[in-house]
Amino acid sequence: MMTKYFQHRPNVITGVKKVCSAVAASASLLIASGGTVAAQTDYYNLDAGRPVLSEDAYPVEFRAFELQAAPLRLERASGGQYHWSVEPELAWGVLPRLQIEVGFPTVYLDTDADTRKFGLAGIDASFLYNLNAETETLPGMAVAGDIALPVGGFAHASAYPSLKAIMTRTYSFARIHLNGRYTFGSAPGVGDEIGVEELSRWVGSVAVDKTFPLKSMLFVGEVYARQPIESDRDVEWNAAAGIRYQLTPRLALDAGLGKVLVGEENSWHLTFGTAYAFAVRSLMPGT
Amino acid sequence: MTMTKHRLKTMLTAVALASLVPAGAAAQVSRVFEQYYFPAEHNWEFRDRYRMADRLFNAFDYGHAILYEVLYTQPNAPASRLELEEFNFITRELLPRPPRLPLEEAAIEVAYVKMAPEAKAMFEWAHVLHRQIYDVLAAEDLSLEEKDAEVAAILRYYKSRPEYAFSSKPKNMELMEGQYYSTAFRDKYPKFNGLIWGYHWLQVGLYEPLMVGRNYGERQTGIAATVTRFFQMIEDAPTNMPRVMPMTAAVAPTFTARYTEAAIIFDNLHSMHDVISDILASPEVPREKKREEILRAAARYRDDTSFVMSEAEWRAMTAHMGIQNMGGPPVGFLPDFPVPTLARGAVMAGGDMAGMQHDAPASPAGATPADHSGHAVVPPDTSAHAPGHSPAAGAGSMDQMMEMHRRMMADPVIRERVETDPVLKSLMSNMDSTHTPTASAPDPNARAAMEFVTRLLSDPTIEARIQADPQLRPLWADPAVQQCLATMKRLKASGQPLPSTCPKAMPAAPAHKH
Repeated sequence: MMTKYFQHRPNVITGVKKVCSAVAASASLLIASGGTVAAQTDYYNLDAGRPVLSEDAYPVEFRAFELQAAPLRLERASGGQYHWSVEPELAWGVLPRLQIEVGFPTVYLDTDADTRKFGLAGIDASFLYNLNAETETLPGMAVAGDIALPVGGFAHASAYPSLKAIMTRTYSFARIHLNGRYTFGSAPGVGDEIGVEELSRWVGSVAVDKTFPLKSMLFVGEVYARQPIESDRDVEWNAAAGIRYQLTPRLALDAGLGKVLVGEENSWHLTFGTAYAFAVRSLMPGT
Repeated sequence: MTMTKHRLKTMLTAVALASLVPAGAAAQVSRVFEQYYFPAEHNWEFRDRYRMADRLFNAFDYGHAILYEVLYTQPNAPASRLELEEFNFITRELLPRPPRLPLEEAAIEVAYVKMAPEAKAMFEWAHVLHRQIYDVLAAEDLSLEEKDAEVAAILRYYKSRPEYAFSSKPKNMELMEGQYYSTAFRDKYPKFNGLIWGYHWLQVGLYEPLMVGRNYGERQTGIAATVTRFFQMIEDAPTNMPRVMPMTAAVAPTFTARYTEAAIIFDNLHSMHDVISDILASPEVPREKKREEILRAAARYRDDTSFVMSEAEWRAMTAHMGIQNMGGPPVGFLPDFPVPTLARGAVMAGGDMAGMQHDAPASPAGATPADHSGHAVVPPDTSAHAPGHSPAAGAGSMDQMMEMHRRMMADPVIRERVETDPVLKSLMSNMDSTHTPTASAPDPNARAAMEFVTRLLSDPTIEARIQADPQLRPLWADPAVQQCLATMKRLKASGQPLPSTCPKAMPAAPAHKH
C-alpha cells in the first residue's frame, strides 16, 4: 500500500533503528515457528507491493499460509521528508485458487524533534480469486478486492473498498502483468480526519518480470498511473523495479525501489521484505 | 511532460494488446491450482542431510522441463538440439553444480505449461510425493513404524486430489509403448532418453540405501555411493544408461516391499513422463492434437481401470525386464555395470520383450547396423495374419489361453456377463461349440475363439472374477498368457486381424522400425 502523505519530518536514524528492531523481532518469530513447511518457489509469486505495486494472477497455494512479517517501506518526498511504514500481513489459501489476507499497516512518524509516534494506519482485509490458469489462448486472470478499515490512530475516517482485475501472460523471455484497480467511496471532505495511507481512485499498472529459474531469482520492473481520490488532482505516473529471491525453501526476500515520474510529489521509495510460507497440519485432510 | 505521458500511455496500450487472447482461437480454460504439501517435522530432512542428492533432483527438474519445452516449441530442430546441446549442458554444467533449490518449472517450460497445465500439475504433485517420502525416510528420529504411519498419511494427502493424483494400480506397458506415438522420443533421442531414465533410476534408487542402511552412517554412505553410481551411469553416454524404463520394484525392492502403493505411483509417474515425451516428439501427433493426447494419457494414468494389471503381473513384468537392463541395482553393486540382456529402448508392450534373453547379453552395440535408433522392435509384418505370428509358435500360451476360456465359461458370473454383452454373445455364437482350437490345428474358428477370449479377458469385471478364483488366477498371472493377451490387445487396438494362436516371442535380432 502506498504511503505518501506525511506532514512531519522524521528522524531517519531513529526510524532505521525502529525498523531494524521490527525486522529482528520478525526474524525471531520465523525461527521459532518450527513444524512448518514452506512453498518452494515463493519468489515467483508477485505480491502487491513486494517489491512493486503490480501482482500476478495467482494466489497463495491452497492450504498454505504466507506470513510477511516485516515488509518495510521507506519513502522520501521532494522536500526531504521521510516516512517509514511496516505492514505485517498474513495470507491464507483458504480454497483452491482463493486467498484471503489481512494486513496491519503501521507507520512511524516524527511529529517534531522530541515527539515520535508509531501506530496503526488501518486494517486491510482482502481476497484474491484466480479465475483461470494461463493457457495458450488465455492469460492467467484474477479478481481481487480489499477494504481498508478505519482502525488505528493513523487510519482514514471511513472504510474504502476496492476492486482489482489482474492478468498475467508468460512468454519465454518474460512475464507481463496488467493490474487495474478502482476504489469506491467519497474523497475525505474538509475537516475530515485524513489517514497517512494515500488513497487512489484508480490505479493502472504494467509490470514485466524476468525469471532466472536456476538462481531462484526474479527481476521486475513496472510503470503505473494513479488518480488520487481527490478528483481535482492530476494523474500521477510512477516507475518501480525490484528483485525477488528465494533464500531458502522456507524464505523469500524482496527488495525494490520506485520513483514518481510525473506528479505533484517528486518522491522515491525503497522496500524490503520477507515472505515465509507454512501450513498447519491440523487443517490438512486426513489428519 | 505531455510527451512522456503519451509514451507511457502508448506503452501501456501496447502491452495490454499483447496480452489479449489470440484472435480466432478457441478459449482453452484451465482451473489448475497449486496445493501446499503435507506439513510435518520431517519436512526438508532429506535436503538437510543429503544435500548433493537433493540438489540433483533440482537439476532433474530442469532436464524434464527443458525437454518438453524444446520438443513442443522446436519440433523440427535437429536431434543435436537435445542430444548434444542440452545434454552437454546438463551433464557437464548443471549436474556437477546443481541448483540449490527446487526449480519453478513454469519459468522453463513456458509454452508446454500453457498447452497442458493439467499434466504439469500431475507431475508436480507426484514430485512432491517423491520428496516427502525421502524426507520421512531420512528422518533419524522416527521409528520404522512411525515412518510407515507418516508415509501412509502422505499418501492419503496425495490421493486427496484425485484430479492430479496418479493411480496406484499398476499400468501395463501397452499404455506406454503400445500407442501410435509410442517410442518416438527414444527413437530420435536415445541419449537424452537414457538420461531421463537415469534420472528415474536415481529417483527411485535413492530409496533403497535409505531403507537398507542400518544407521545414519550407513545411510550416508549408501546415498553417496548411489549418487556416485548415477554419475558413472551418465559417463560415456549412453553405454551404461538404462535400456528400459527403470521399474521401482526392481531398482528399489526393499522400498517396494514396504511401500508398494507408492512404488506403483512412481512407476506410473515415470511412465507418463515417457508418454508425454513420445506425444511431443511424434510427428504422428499433429501440434493441434498434442494437448488432446496428453490429456487422454493423463486420464488413463489417473484412473484405476484402464490398462491396469495386477500387482503380481507388475512384479512379473518387472522381473522379466531385468534390473540389468535398468542400470543395475543402486546398492551393493559391483564396480562394473551388469551386462544388459536387452537392446537399448526395447519395447515391452505386447509382452514381446524383444531381445530378452536373461542368460545371454545383448550385442554391445545393441542393434544391427540398420537400426539407427538401437532399438529392439517388432519386425516387419510378413505374416498374413499378424506380426510375428507362426502357426507352430506360442503353443503353450495358446493352450493356457484356451484352458482359461474353458474354466471361465464354467463360472456362472462370467457366463452371465457373456450373455449380457451383445458383442461377446455374438462372438460366442459364431464359434463352433464342439470345437476347441489348439495351436497345432488353427482354423477360422480358432481365430474367432481368440477374438472372444481377448475381449473377455479385457473386461475389468471378468478380470476381477478371475482374480477371485484360485484356479483361474495362476493361469491368468502366467507370463506367457499375459504376453499373449497383451499382443492380442495391441493388434486389436491397431485394427489388425487376430491370429488363431498366440504369437511367439519376438526374435532377438532387432530390425529397423521406420
